[in-house]
Order: sequence, then structure tokens, then C-alpha cells
Amino acid sequence: MKNLKSYLESGILEQYVLGDLSVKEKLDVENNARQYPEVRKELEEIENALMSYARSNAIDPSKKIKTNFLNAVNNSDQVNISSSVNTGESYVRSLKFYKYAFAASLTLLFISSVLLFNLNNKLNESYVQLAILQSDNQKFTKQVNYKENELSDTKNALQFYQNPTAYKLVTLKGSAKAPEASLLVALNEEKEEVMIDLSSLRMPSNDQEHQYQLWAMVDGKPVDLGVFDAKDDSTGMKKMKFIKDAQSFAVTLEPKGGSLNPTMDKMMAIGTI
Amino acid sequence: MRLKTKITLSENELVHAILTKDRNGAEALYDMYSSSLYGVIFRIVQHEEIAEDLLQDTFIRIWNSFSSYDASKGRLFTWMVNVARNIAIDKTRSKEFRNNSKTEDIENNVLTVDKQINSKINPEIIGLKDLIGKLKPEHKIILDLVYFEGFTHVEVAQKLEIPLGTVKTRLRNAIITLRKLFN
Repeated sequence: MKNLKSYLESGILEQYVLGDLSVKEKLDVENNARQYPEVRKELEEIENALMSYARSNAIDPSKKIKTNFLNAVNNSDQVNISSSVNTGESYVRSLKFYKYAFAASLTLLFISSVLLFNLNNKLNESYVQLAILQSDNQKFTKQVNYKENELSDTKNALQFYQNPTAYKLVTLKGSAKAPEASLLVALNEEKEEVMIDLSSLRMPSNDQEHQYQLWAMVDGKPVDLGVFDAKDDSTGMKKMKFIKDAQSFAVTLEPKGGSLNPTMDKMMAIGTI
Repeated sequence: MRLKTKITLSENELVHAILTKDRNGAEALYDMYSSSLYGVIFRIVQHEEIAEDLLQDTFIRIWNSFSSYDASKGRLFTWMVNVARNIAIDKTRSKEFRNNSKTEDIENNVLTVDKQINSKINPEIIGLKDLIGKLKPEHKIILDLVYFEGFTHVEVAQKLEIPLGTVKTRLRNAIITLRKLFN
């Protein structure tokens, strides 16, 4: 150092001892102290002087502070020792904790799985029951619809019998070929309606290729009034075509869709108005 | 009257004892330095109860963070007095402390006087007290502001409205006077 004397007298060493320097300035002083015994000696003297100054201003604190401090030191020693042992022990403890936590998690998982399984079973059961109920419901709805249809058919049929003046009822009787056959035809000249009462139909069920055909005899000529099917459960009134001045009705069995002229040897029933 | 003997060790022995966490080291540390450090702390906070709490904190801090003391960089006491001063100054800057100190100033001034009377009875330092009287007042005030009240050089310059260079010079002269007095 070029000017050691002025460095020693600059006051920076006093500041160093008083703790009033930046980190960088402190490092500078420490470097110089290592290099120059003069700096080190100067620092020591400053320190000793200030320590003596502090001693000359000393005040005795109350006795309890000493007790407190020594107790704190003893306790903190125990804490230190136990905490250094603890690093092992707490490791074991935390390991134990994780073991228990893992076991608890597994147990919970198992319980949850069982519950979920049961719940799922119940849900499936409910689905089945729901499906059964729905199909039941559909069945009942169908039945109700069927009954309603039946009821309206019956009501329709009933009006012919309740209005004997408006409707002329003609009962077709079985021919020689089918003596058991019969059919009720209702004729309303005013409304120009011809209806057949399927519930009164007594004829064998027709197959897929054949249908029954209703004819009217007008002045000795057969006139087509439409085709119908005979089934065991056929009910209700079926509206047919209307023709004026019919003298009689007849039913023949014809190929599906009907024929232009009746097949006479397939005559099922006939009735005169 | 039985006087409890105080433990005294050389600085090297003491440092070793503290490093090895020897209980005697803690007691020696306290016996050797508590009154000097308390003097510094008390002058900064001016409140007996707070100062004693802080003294206790200071010793615990010294004990627990002793590994940060580097003997090659200075004497033990220099390091300790800086720890004590920092703890005390931190306290005076806390909001709680500033709120309290306004109302308790008078009471504490009485205590300060009491304490100074007590310390005068201490035969160990009675000679030193006389020596301090030989410091020039303009030197002493700067030294006390820095050493006992934790002012930085810059703060002293502002407070006393004198140049920073003058602060440094007077501080150095104050310490030179002390060196002559004590060595």
C-alpha cells in the first residue's frame, strides 16, 4: 500500500470496528488486515479501546437474565441434541406416518370399491326394474288403446241398433257351401252408407292370398262394394262402398284385392234387403 | 455475604467452549460480557424491561449463531457488541416500540439515572468512569451516538449538522484518546 499512514488515519478502521461499513468495504479492510500487520495492530487497538469504553459504561442487568439465558441454552441444547437425534427419529416417524397413511388409503380404496360395486349392482337392478315397469306400462297403454278402440267400435255398432229407422240391417246367411257363415250389413240410404259389423262376422279366416268381397245386387247385376278380411278377433264396423237401389248383398271369397265379377262358386253368404 | 464467583476464561478458551456448546462456556460468556452489552443495549432502548429482554435475546443469538463469528476478523466482543446493537436498533425501529416510548420517556429517564448510579457503585469500573471524563465533549457525543445509539456516520453528520469528514476525524480522535487512556 502506497500510503499506509493515511489509510490508518482515514477513519475507515474505526468504522469497520463500529460495524458501519458496506460489505465490500468490510472485505477491503479484512484483506488489508491480512496483508499488513500495521492494519491488524491498529484494528486491535481500536477494538480494545472501544471494549474498554463499553466496560466503563457497563450496567449490571438483573440476575434473572442470567438464569433465563442459561436455561434457554440448556433447553436449546436439548432441543439441538434431540433434534439431531430427531432427524433420524423423525425420519422413522414420518416413515411410520406414510406407512399408516398408505394403509389407510388402501383401506379407504377397498371400502370405496365395495360401496361402488354394491351401488352399481343396485343401479343395474333399478334399470331392470325400470325396463320391466316400462314394458308393463306399454302393455297397459296398448290394452287401454285396444279397449278404447273396442269401445268406440262397440259404440259405432250400437248406433245401428239404436237407430233402426235410419239403418236398415241386413243379415247375410250362409250359402250351401258355408252354412255356418253369417254377416250383418247396415245400410243408410239417407247418408249413403254401407257398413259391415265385423263382430258379427261368422266366416273362416281368409289366408294371405285371398280376401272376402262384398257385392250388391242391383237389377240382377253384381256391383263391387269392397273387400275385407276376416280374423278371429275382428271387431267393429267397417265402412264399405255405397250403391243406390241395392236389392241384396252377397259375400264371395276372391283373390286378394278383389275381382271384377264375383266368383259364384265361392259364394259365402247372401241376404236380401 | 457470599460472593458468587464469576467464571472468567481467556478469549480463546471462551470461543472454544462456546463452539463445543460447553455449559461453562455459556456462563463464562454471560459473566464476562453481560454488563458491557447491557450498557450498550440499555442506552439504545432506554427501557429497563425491554433492554433486559433484548439482552437475553442477544445472548441466545450469540450462542445459536456462533458459527458466524470469525476470530480471524476481530475480537469476540466487537462481534458481540454489533449483534447487541443491531438487535436493539431493530427494536427501536419497530412500530410497537415507537408507540410505547413516547409515553414512557419520563419514567425511563429516572431509571437511566438510577442505573448510572448503580453502575458507579461497581468498583470494577469506577476508575474507568473517571477516565471517560477526559474525553472532549464534542468527541464523546459522536462516539456515544455511534457506539451506544447505533447512528451511522452519515446520520451523525445530519443530526449534528457537521460535515461527514469532521465526524470521521472526531470519532477517530475520540478513539485515540480512549486508547491513550486505557492502554
